[in-house]
Formats: sequence, C-alpha cells, structure tokens
Amino acid sequence: MILPPFAYARPKTVKKAIALYQGAKGQAVYLAGGTDLVPRIKQRLMCPALSIDLKGIQALKRVTLTRDWLKIGANVTLYDLKNHPVVAKYYPALYESLNTTSCETLQMRGTLGGNVLQDARCLFFNKSDTWRKARGFCLKMGGESCNAVKGARVCFANYASDNAPVLLTLGAEVLLSGIAGDRQIPLLEIFTGKSDSPFTLHNGEILTQILIPAQITKGGYLKLRVRDSIDYPLVGVALSTADGRGRLAVGGIGGKPLLFEFRGDDRGWVERIADEALNQSKPVRNTVLSAAYRKRMVKTLTKRIIKLVMGEDRR
Amino acid sequence: MKSIQIKVTVNGEPMSLDVRPYETLLETLRERLHLTGAKEACSLGACGSCTVILDKIPVRACLVLTAEIDGMTVTTIEGLAANGRLHPLQEAFMEKGAVQCGFCTSGMILTAKSLLDREKKPSKDQIVRTISSNVCRCTGYKKIIEAVMTAAERMERT
Repeated sequence: MILPPFAYARPKTVKKAIALYQGAKGQAVYLAGGTDLVPRIKQRLMCPALSIDLKGIQALKRVTLTRDWLKIGANVTLYDLKNHPVVAKYYPALYESLNTTSCETLQMRGTLGGNVLQDARCLFFNKSDTWRKARGFCLKMGGESCNAVKGARVCFANYASDNAPVLLTLGAEVLLSGIAGDRQIPLLEIFTGKSDSPFTLHNGEILTQILIPAQITKGGYLKLRVRDSIDYPLVGVALSTADGRGRLAVGGIGGKPLLFEFRGDDRGWVERIADEALNQSKPVRNTVLSAAYRKRMVKTLTKRIIKLVMGEDRR
Repeated sequence: MKSIQIKVTVNGEPMSLDVRPYETLLETLRERLHLTGAKEACSLGACGSCTVILDKIPVRACLVLTAEIDGMTVTTIEGLAANGRLHPLQEAFMEKGAVQCGFCTSGMILTAKSLLDREKKPSKDQIVRTISSNVCRCTGYKKIIEAVMTAAERMERT
C-alpha cells in the first residue's frame, strides 16, 4: 500500500515542532513510532501535508523517578518502559498492559505517548479508502450516519489503548506543550468521550510527558482478544490498589475508558464495581466479537482481575 | 515534493540516498536497492513479513519512513550470510524444514536473529513470544521454533 505524498521534518525541540505545526496551517501530524499513524495514512483516514517526526527530540526519551512522580517521556517505547525496573516494582498493572500491547516487535517501535493518543477504532472505519467509499462514509469520516449501528447519529468507535486504562488506575497526569504554553492535567481530562474526536488536546499540542505518582501499587490488567499474539483489546480491564484504596478501569469499549474508585473496606464493593462496570459499558457490534459477549466479559474480567490482584483481601 | 537526502548503511555497505519524504523503508529496499527479501503482505504492520533489523531492533519496514533512518544501519535477509556461509538460523531453517511457502521466512529469521543477538540462551517461551510478532499462514510454527532453538544451541557452542 502506497502512502499519499507529504513532506517530512525532524525538529530537535518541542518548540520547533510546534512552530512547524503552526506553519502547516492545520495540515500536519506528529509522528512518533508510526505503528498506529502510518497505517491510518495508508488507508487515507488522514491525508497530512506534513509529518513532523518527534523522534529527534531527546527530551522526550527520558524516564526519571523523582520523589513524587515517575516521569515518562512520551517517546519512550513500550518495550523499553516494560523493561524499566521501576515499572515492574511499582506498577505491576502497567507492566501487564505494556506486555500485552500488540506484539514484541511493535512494542519496540511504538511509544507510550502514541499509544495513549491513538485514535478510536471501528470495524467499519479502519478500512481501505475503496472499502469505505463503497460503503458510504460514516460519521467519523464526516458522513451522515453510523455504519456500525443503523441510523445512529453518534459514533461508537472504540478507544483501544491498553495502557491508558492502567494509567488512569494509577492516577496518572500528562504534560502537554502547545502554542499557548505548557499545562499539566489529569489523564482523564484528555478524553472528550466522543468516539469521532476522542481528545481534548488543542490543535498543535504535543503530549510530552506522562507522570505517575511514585508509590508501590498492586495491580493487574486483563484483556479480551481473539489472537493473543497481536490484537487490540476488545475489552480491557485494569486494576491498581495501594493502602486499601483502588481504581478499576474498563477500556476497549466506546470513546474513553470507564473509571471506578473503591475502598477495600466498603462492604460488597466487588459486586458493586462489577455491576457498575457491566451497566455502564455499552458495546455495539463494531468489533470481531459480538456486543453481547463483550458486555458479559466486562463483568467476568472485572471479577477475575479483582480475584487475581486482591486474592484474600477481597470482601 | 522535495526529496530528502540520507546516509544509511545497508548490509554493511554505507550509501547515501535521495528519497521521497513519504517513501517507506520497504519501498526503498525493494524498489530502489532491489533487496526483495523483505516481503510486502499486509502493508499495515500486522503480519511481520517485511521485518528488517534497524540498529539492532526488528522493525516493520512497511511502517518506517526511509527519511526517518538517517545515520542508521539496516540489516536485511540478504546481509546475513558471511564469507559465503549462511547464518546458523538460515541453515537451521533449511534443516528443520521450517519453510513452507517461504513468504514469512525472511521476517521470521530476522526477528529470531534480533532475539539471539540480545539473548544468548533464550527459553522456548521466549522464542515463542518473540516469533509471535510474525505470522505464518502455512501454519508451520513448530518447526520454526525448533529451528530457532537449534540455531541458538549452535551459536552458543561457537
């Protein structure tokens, strides 16, 4: 499959990258590992005039542990992060989600920033241009209605990052650099909840750092997929706890992950969380597995991950 | 569109290339350098048949822009044999019959090589895990795993 023509630039600083973006009048994309972006451009889901390669920016490749945070540069690869001693020791859930993201080769190229900012996916959207033209463009392509749910006026594409749900359970924040300056916000605030435009980032804004509170947690991540070797999550359930409190997140369904909080000493919290996760998850028939099956698996995986992580601590 | 000049080393040979900014490494290898060992199958990064080694790391050549790799080193299947001798992985693949149609083979071997380069004695689980980055549609994984294990043993001995 041949790429459409676009120019290429490799700035050395974030500031330079933003200036290049401004110069391209909204027709530019930021390129990191390219494992998500390049297939999208090949399928003509986007046709940029300029790709701005962020891999030349050294500052985005660092991992540093301070007293309060583990600060992860957005361009750290999933593989390098997985093998970072602090991750295995502090954040077992993150180790699991990194380890089950795609396959090893793509983990070595794909970056954490790119994984978090991947666009939502749909069985009827992530297709070739010819396929989509024959079918008629859906809402996410600027068309009139949804191709997955007949007559629907909203998009149901699934946000398929394995790592963002885990990062939410860990209370992660993100550092963004843009035309108007820098801002640090909770990770949850980058999501609009809308599948056709999932992120609240301003035009030209760059995710430069992911920050996780520096504390030892217990946790895990389970994902439903057809092929264990490579697939995106069809449902992903993440859990992290510390000091008797915890968070559970459900990903792979809809435009943003669902997040639930609990205290281990609440009575019946396991059933409550499992029911809330089940009730709030609204899968539709836009993946290779049926919506009914995915919905049931939300509760199954929720209870399973709680059992795996909490063991005898459950009530 | 303005072309981009880069310097790369391909299979030990330094060269400078003028490439289109939207040209993939796979296109450069196959169409410019006529190194057709890396195959194009899915073209979307899912199958691994275009795997080559870029500075010690296996990459999907169909997802890498050639413009991105200025100053880097590329190893393709054509660059594995040394002094007229095949690489132990290539020999083991032939001996064990780990090839059926052969389309996935160069990617499989290069993915396996990157593992053996960083891990002298990989366990069977590690081999399975690494190899699972690549798809074989003739369904011959068992012999591929045996071939990698055999090659690992031989490389450790020498």
